[in-house]
Amino acid sequence: MSAISARRKRAIALLSLTSIILVTLDLQGSGSASVLRGTFGVFFRPIEGVTRVVTRPVSNAWHGITHYNAVTKENDLLREKIAQQEGAAVAAAASVRLSQELLALNGLPTLAGINSVSAQVIGDSPSNYSQSVEINQGGDSGIKVGMPVMNAAGLIGKITKVFPRRSIVMLITDPEYALSVKVINNPESASPINDPEASASTSSTTTTTTTIPKPQVTSNIPGFTPGTTTMPLTTVNVTVSVPSLTPTLTVPSNGALPVRETGILEGRGPSRVPIVRFIDSAQRFGTILPGAPIVTSGGSLSLAPPDIVVGTVSKVTDRLGTAGPILEINLVADLTNLSFVRILLYQPITEQVKP
Amino acid sequence: MSIRFIRFISSRWTRLVLVASVVLGFQTTIFDDLRPFGVMVQVMVLFAACAGVVYGAEIGAVSGLIIGLMYDCVLTTPLGLASLVLGATAFIAGAFPYFVRDSSWWNKAIAVAVASAIGEILFPIAQALVGLGGWVQWRVISVALVVAIFNLLLAPLLMPVVRWTLKETLVG
Repeated sequence: MSAISARRKRAIALLSLTSIILVTLDLQGSGSASVLRGTFGVFFRPIEGVTRVVTRPVSNAWHGITHYNAVTKENDLLREKIAQQEGAAVAAAASVRLSQELLALNGLPTLAGINSVSAQVIGDSPSNYSQSVEINQGGDSGIKVGMPVMNAAGLIGKITKVFPRRSIVMLITDPEYALSVKVINNPESASPINDPEASASTSSTTTTTTTIPKPQVTSNIPGFTPGTTTMPLTTVNVTVSVPSLTPTLTVPSNGALPVRETGILEGRGPSRVPIVRFIDSAQRFGTILPGAPIVTSGGSLSLAPPDIVVGTVSKVTDRLGTAGPILEINLVADLTNLSFVRILLYQPITEQVKP
Repeated sequence: MSIRFIRFISSRWTRLVLVASVVLGFQTTIFDDLRPFGVMVQVMVLFAACAGVVYGAEIGAVSGLIIGLMYDCVLTTPLGLASLVLGATAFIAGAFPYFVRDSSWWNKAIAVAVASAIGEILFPIAQALVGLGGWVQWRVISVALVVAIFNLLLAPLLMPVVRWTLKETLVG
C-alpha cells in the first residue's frame, strides 16, 4: 500500500513539474505548446463536434426559454433602427466616398486599401477568466497574430493565436488587451463667415458654392465620420449648385477644428467597461465630454490602422496633477453577440517582413 | 506485451482520459452556451473535485492534473496553468474523507461545491502569479458562488460517473 502511495506521490510530483515546465515554455512563446494543443485538437474536435450535435436541442431550448422576450424586443428595436438608418445611409455613402477620395489624393492611408478576410465566430473561450472567441479562418487565409478584428460596428479585438484553419481573437475587454487610441473632442459645428478680404478679392470673379451633403455617421457617434466603412466603387452624385453672386465661403473657425489626443485603451474584464489612460490634460484639448468618439490612433508601432471606431466616452474621471483623466468607454461593438467578423490583413511597417 | 497493453487499456487513467474528453466536450459546447447569470458552469472543475472527494487526495490530485492538462489544451491561458489549479482543487477536495467518516451523498456534494468555489478563486490568482493580471476582481466571488451552486446540483449526477471511471481494475 505504501509502495502504491509512493508511486502516486511521484506521479503527482512529476505531473506538477510537467505543468510548471509547460507554463514556463508557453509563456516564453515556445512552439511545443502549440504543437501539443494542435495534436490534442485533432483528437478532441470530433468528440466536440458530436457533443455539439447532441446538446444543440438542449441549448436551443434554454435560449428559447431565457431569451425569447429579449429577442422579440430587440427585433422591434432593430426594425425601427433600420428604417431610420436607410435614409441616412445614402448620404453617408457619399460623404465616406468623398473622404476616401480626399485621403487618397493626399497620399494618406485609408482602410479601403487594406485587404480583409471575413470569418464566422465558432466558439467562445470555455473559461470565466478569458475574453476571447474562436473564428473559422486562420493562417491559410493570410491571418497573422496581432491583426485587428472588427465587426460591422467597430473594433472588437485582435488575433492572438493562429492555426491553419482557425484563430483565437482576444476581445477588447480582456485585461491583457491594450491599444493606442485617440480621443476626438467633439468639434463645434463650422459656421459660415463673411471675410471682408475674401469678399473684396472674389468680388470680380464668379464664385461657386459647392453643397456637400452633411457628413452622416455610419455608427451612432455624433459629429464623426469613421473610416471603417469601405465604400463600393460606384459613382456618387454630389449636388453642385451654381449660385448666387454673393460670395459665401464656409470656413471652420480655429476652435471648431477637431482636437485629437492619444491615450492607451485597456480592457478590464467582462463586468467592467474598458478605460483610456495617459490622456494629456493639456489646456488646448479642452474638457472631454461624454460622447466624444474614440478611434484607433494607428502609427508605425500600433497593431491597428488609424481611424477604426472603438467607442465613445461614457464617463470622465479627473485625476490630480499631471496624471490626466481616465475615460470609461462605451464600446460600439456588442461583444456579447458576435457572429460574423472581419479581420484586417494589416501589419504595421515595423512588423512587415521585407522580401 | 499484450498483457501490458490490456492493462494499459483497462487502467483507470486511460478511462479517465476518455471520460474527461467527453466531459470536456460538454464543457466547450452546452456549458459554454448556457452561462446562467453570465457565468460558465465549470464541469471540469466539478469532475476534478468529485475525483478528490470520492477517491481521496492522492488519486484526486493525479486526476486533477490530468483533467487540467486536457482543459489547458482548449484554453487560451498558458498551458499547464489549469492543470496546476485543478490538481490543487482535487487535492483540497481529497481532504474531505479525512474530516468526515461515512459521509452521505449530500455531504460529498457540499464538499465538491466548496472545493469548486476554491478552485474557481485559485484560477485568477494563478493567472496573476504568471503575470496575467487584471482578473483578480470582486467578480471572482460571484463567479465562485454561482459555480459552487451549480456544481452542488450537478455533483450527485457526476459522482457515480467518477466512481466508475476511477475504479481500480485487477486485469493482469
